[in-house]
Order: sequence, then structure tokens, then C-alpha cells
Amino acid sequence: MLLIGRGTRPWKDWPVRLISVGKRYGLRQPWIIKNVSQEIAAGRLIRLAGPNGSGKSTLLRIIAGAMVPSAGRVAGRPHTGYVPERFPPALAFSAHEYLEHMGRIHGLPPTGVRAAVDEWLERLGAADYARAPLRTLSKGMCQKVAIAQALLARPGLLVLDEAWTGLDQAARGALDAAVAERVAGGGIVLFVDHDPARLADRVDEEWRFAGDSIAVMSAPARQSPRAGWSAAEAGPAPQTATIEVTGLEEASLDRVAGLAGVLTVVANRPLGRVLVTVSDAASDAVLRELLSWDGVHVSAVAPRADQSLSGQPQPGETRGAAEAAR
Amino acid sequence: MALLRYQTANLFRSHRWILPLMVYALLISVGGAGSGEEAGSGQAVAHLRAQALASGLDWSAAIVLVVTALLTRSMLTAEPGAARACVAAARGPGRAQLGTLLTSFAGGAILGVAGAGYELVTMGHKTALLVPFFDGLGKVLVCAFVGSAIGTLFNPPVIRHQAAALLSTIAAVVVALVSSVSPANAAIHGNGAAIQSAAWPAGVPLAAAFALVAVSWMVSCWLAGRRSD
Repeated sequence: MLLIGRGTRPWKDWPVRLISVGKRYGLRQPWIIKNVSQEIAAGRLIRLAGPNGSGKSTLLRIIAGAMVPSAGRVAGRPHTGYVPERFPPALAFSAHEYLEHMGRIHGLPPTGVRAAVDEWLERLGAADYARAPLRTLSKGMCQKVAIAQALLARPGLLVLDEAWTGLDQAARGALDAAVAERVAGGGIVLFVDHDPARLADRVDEEWRFAGDSIAVMSAPARQSPRAGWSAAEAGPAPQTATIEVTGLEEASLDRVAGLAGVLTVVANRPLGRVLVTVSDAASDAVLRELLSWDGVHVSAVAPRADQSLSGQPQPGETRGAAEAAR
Repeated sequence: MALLRYQTANLFRSHRWILPLMVYALLISVGGAGSGEEAGSGQAVAHLRAQALASGLDWSAAIVLVVTALLTRSMLTAEPGAARACVAAARGPGRAQLGTLLTSFAGGAILGVAGAGYELVTMGHKTALLVPFFDGLGKVLVCAFVGSAIGTLFNPPVIRHQAAALLSTIAAVVVALVSSVSPANAAIHGNGAAIQSAAWPAGVPLAAAFALVAVSWMVSCWLAGRRSD
């Protein structure tokens, strides 16, 4: 059954890549997310931010592998744990039984399953409810079970959709600690949470949903050098151009991301160089628009997508294009 | 394997198996009583018995179709979307879906074999009846395939509207049992290109039913994860 084969593989120190990922629920439906290309290096903690209905949960589901994108693909995904937004108590198991099943499904060896289940129920403060049927549990207790199933196998990629909601103080702390553990072990953690202060001091990147595109904010302290990937590996390169801009203010980043044709905006904090990826067709219009803004300086234009934050600006010849445009 | 174990446990714990099992037991016992009388009123000749067994097995094959379709439907609608998403993240949406489909098919097939065994045991004089018995098992398998295909094709994620799914499942079951183009119908009535060899029924109905179920499972697994819950 080739059709349903899917590549989960043991965690290696390779980046997870989103390649032109898009999702819509039907050919006549609007795109919920469109053309998202990002590279996620090992050991990164990433927050997704944006208003309700902006597609955060959809993108999380796709990155987690629970949903198949309508366009593009996710490459290099390691073993994944996913905590959904609402975990229903409608299953007819006790918490412990459910987690044992999930442990086996996550590929834990038979001897290790019980110990792992006990450990995580204990850590999250749900050990007293281990034998209680799921349908009798409170919302918070169900949430603990949902978190435990994702963490059982210590996945290389952990995806948390509002996982802190409904948890008591102790369990929130336990989840914060578990996230820190995953990241320290070289895992990737992506999360959405309504509290903007959640893990604020640890977040490496913030992906802001603005219109059709995503603006990537990167914390300066924890940047790690990461390898770009070759065009051959990534498949046919999308028809895009990257514009390097300086002198932007943080407040105007969302405005940049909202311009027609802008695919991604990549920036570091404090704001210096900003990389704006645009579709080829819109590159002239976006360039003109950016040049018309006060204090904004276009330092380079590259003819292809450059997702690497730490990458150097494109070779000198592309500066000519920028100057010509000016 | 872990997936099948989880789905089987889910099936048993959720009591979703009770209705299909009761439908099955009821219809089998009704059919069994009919064929038993027939055998009793006959002259206790071996070939009459064989005929009675064959008709009993035809009956139970038809029931297997209904029950497998019901079982598949209840399994597909039983697991909450979020729980399914957790499994899908671990193993892929297609594989999670296949686990559900395989479990419900296995449930129907096991019931069918058990029912056929029951028919055989109630007949007595087993050695003379082995040929019609294996013939009947082939029919049971064909009907389990067709039942699974119907349950798969007329329920989520293929048909998501609840009422439409239920009505079309029932309609498809009826059509599969009475229509002459259905492999289940061909197998049960033994007409047209029916099962040739009794010991190993490698006939056209079996092949057609297998192709049908394979296609329906592929469609369902492909759609799982592509459509929202």
C-alpha cells in the first residue's frame, strides 16, 4: 500500500522543512494557509501567533502529520507527538489503558510502556486518576492525558495546540519543564497559546500569521547556525525573489507581511536586516512599495527564496538589481 | 499491530459491537431454524443435508454482509476526531484509518466464520458436508469484503453527512444483496460466473469483491487527513 506509506523516521539532526505548504478544504474553498516555506532546525522552540481563524491550528496539524496539506509537503519530520486543541473524553478507556495503547502506537517497547505511562501521569499530577474512565474525568484531567500521550515516547517533534488551557498551576509548570527537556534534547517544539507570556523567555522564533503569509521573528540570543538546503533537495524551486531590507520598524513588519505577493518575512530581534520573500510576479510592486517608505533601505535582491536566517546576503551582483530598482 | 490492538479494544469497550452481534445472532438463528426443519422433514439423506447446509450458509453470508457494513460504519463514526489526530500524528492518517477498517472487517469475518461453524455443527455428519462448508466459507468471505466496502464508501470520511451516510449505507446493502451485478449476490446464488472450485473458491465474485474492498479502503485512507472532521 504505497498510498498510505508515510515517512516517520528516527530523530536525526536534520531540519524539518515546510515546502510550499498550503491547505484548503475543497477545490472551491479559500486557502486557509498558502505557500508556507520554512526550515525548522533541531532544538528550536517556536511559537505561532495570530488572531483566531488565521490558520494556526491547521498549520500545527499539518506539521504534526495529523493532516495532509493540499499543496506542498513537510519533509524530514521526526517521530511526532501532538496535543490537539480539544481532547474529547468520549473514548471508553481508563486513562492508564488509553495511554498504554498510545505508548504502543508510538512504538514504545512492551516492557517500557507501563513505566512511561506511570512516569508521565505522575509528572503531570494525574496518577490518582489513572484507573478512572476517561469519560468521568474533568476537562483539565483529560488535557493531562492528552499531553501525556504526546510525551510518552519523547518525540523529536512536539506540537502543542493550546495545551496549557485548563491545567492547574503545577501541571503548567510540568509541561513547561517537559517542553524545555525536549528542546534541550535537540527536539523541536511548536506551540500555540493564548497567553503571550507563555515560555516567552525561551522562545527561539515567533511565527506571526498576517493575511496569507507568515512573519518570522527570531530571538537573538539563541540563534544557532543552520545549514540551508540545496535546491535539488527541495524539489523545483518556487518562483520567488528575496528582498533584503534594513531600517524597518517592528511595528511595520505586519504591514510588510500584508503586502500582496509577500510570502514570508524573516527578521531577527533587535531588528536589523529583514528578509522578505515575494512571488516573482509581485516583486517589482513590493520593491517599489518598500522603497517609498521613510527610512527603509533595500540592501539586496536575490532571485530565489533564501530561508536561512543566518545565511549571508546574496553575492554582489544582486545588489546591482537593487540599485537598478532604486 | 499496536493500532489493531487499540482499535479492537476500542470496539469492545465502546459496546459498538453489541448491535451488530445481536442482529447477526437473531438472523442466524432465524435462518438456522428454517434450514433445520427442512433437514428434519426430509429423508435424512446426505445430499439433502448438504443442500440444507448450503442454503444455511447462503443465509449467513448475506447476514455477514449486513453486519460487516454496520460494524464498519460504527467504527468509522466511533473514534473522536481529536483522538484520531493523536494517532495520525504518531502513525500517519492513512495508517490510522486502515487500522480502523481492518479491525471492523476482521470483526465481520470472524462472526461469519463462527456462524458458518455453527451451521455445520448443527447439521451433524460432518465429513460429508465439508465441500458445501468450504464453498459457504468462500461466500462468507465475499460478503464480508462487500460489506466492508459498503461501510467504507458510504460513511465518513467519504460521505460525511450523517443522515446521508446512514441511508446510503442501508440502500447499498439492499442493492448488494438483490442486484445481479453485485459479487455478493453472485456468490450467494451461485449463478453467472460463480465460484468454480468448492475447496478453494478462487472465482470471479471473490476477485471482484476483493478489488472493490481494496479500492474503497484506498479511497478512505487517502481522504483521511485531507478532510476536516
